[in-house]
Amino acid sequence: MGLIQRAVEARGIPTVSVTVARDATEVLKLPRAVFVPWPMGHHFGVPFHRDIQRRVLFEMLDVLTTESEPGTIRDLNIRWGDVRRAAKTLTAQGRRL
Amino acid sequence: MTEVADTPQQTDDPRETGKQLRPGLWQTVNERYPGSMIRKSTFVPQAELANRLNECRVTFISSSGVHLKSDRPLDVCHPFGDFRFRRVPSSAKHDGLIIHQLKYPHDDADLDVNVIFPIERLQELAAEGTIGELTPNFFSFIGYNMDPERFEATVAHDIAKAVAEEERADVALLAPA
Repeated sequence: MGLIQRAVEARGIPTVSVTVARDATEVLKLPRAVFVPWPMGHHFGVPFHRDIQRRVLFEMLDVLTTESEPGTIRDLNIRWGDVRRAAKTLTAQGRRL
Repeated sequence: MTEVADTPQQTDDPRETGKQLRPGLWQTVNERYPGSMIRKSTFVPQAELANRLNECRVTFISSSGVHLKSDRPLDVCHPFGDFRFRRVPSSAKHDGLIIHQLKYPHDDADLDVNVIFPIERLQELAAEGTIGELTPNFFSFIGYNMDPERFEATVAHDIAKAVAEEERADVALLAPA
């Protein structure tokens, strides 16, 4: 994925990625990224939690517009435990899209 | 939903401290699949936003293996990986999409594809005017390719070319899986 980000950026198109593996993102020297401390397969949170899914996208867009330093990795400091607890509440409420 | 507090945590559990859940992932994968992980020593030239976000055409690129139910899946069993990609119409909805990939847990994404491929959230951002518009197509492939040089020459090159020349994107958002 990082190789694609570099290839797109090299064509003059600004890019930002989201990552759950800060260590892998750092060694790839990517232009910009947002780190979420969440598991693989959950880069945008949990099912039916529209707010958290949007929050990640807003953070990515904000990095695009405000960060100019190559290699910026912004931490989205929302704990996975809190995301899971919110997901359980949504599930208990029977929430669906 | 609470932000991580500045005060010291009472637990080392990464779910409660906001640290990377699987530390040393690069090293772990590289030991399991030698040569599959890469390092770069330099940055590519940093591109600049030419327009405001609400005037930008945005694309999305994912290694999640999401594709239209009507498309053939990529080869998830090939020992070196599948070096092709799929276009996903940016107007697609959860019900029209399916995930074919074995290398990450997608049980939650099967319930709501936006967990890994936030296509409906991006449609909302475009409708609200936060971003200008979406490219007609997004891009999806399957990760864990075992030959980074071949990957760079095929999937990365081909998607970057399509993003620039076919979709004419101003901005690209990317998400591994």
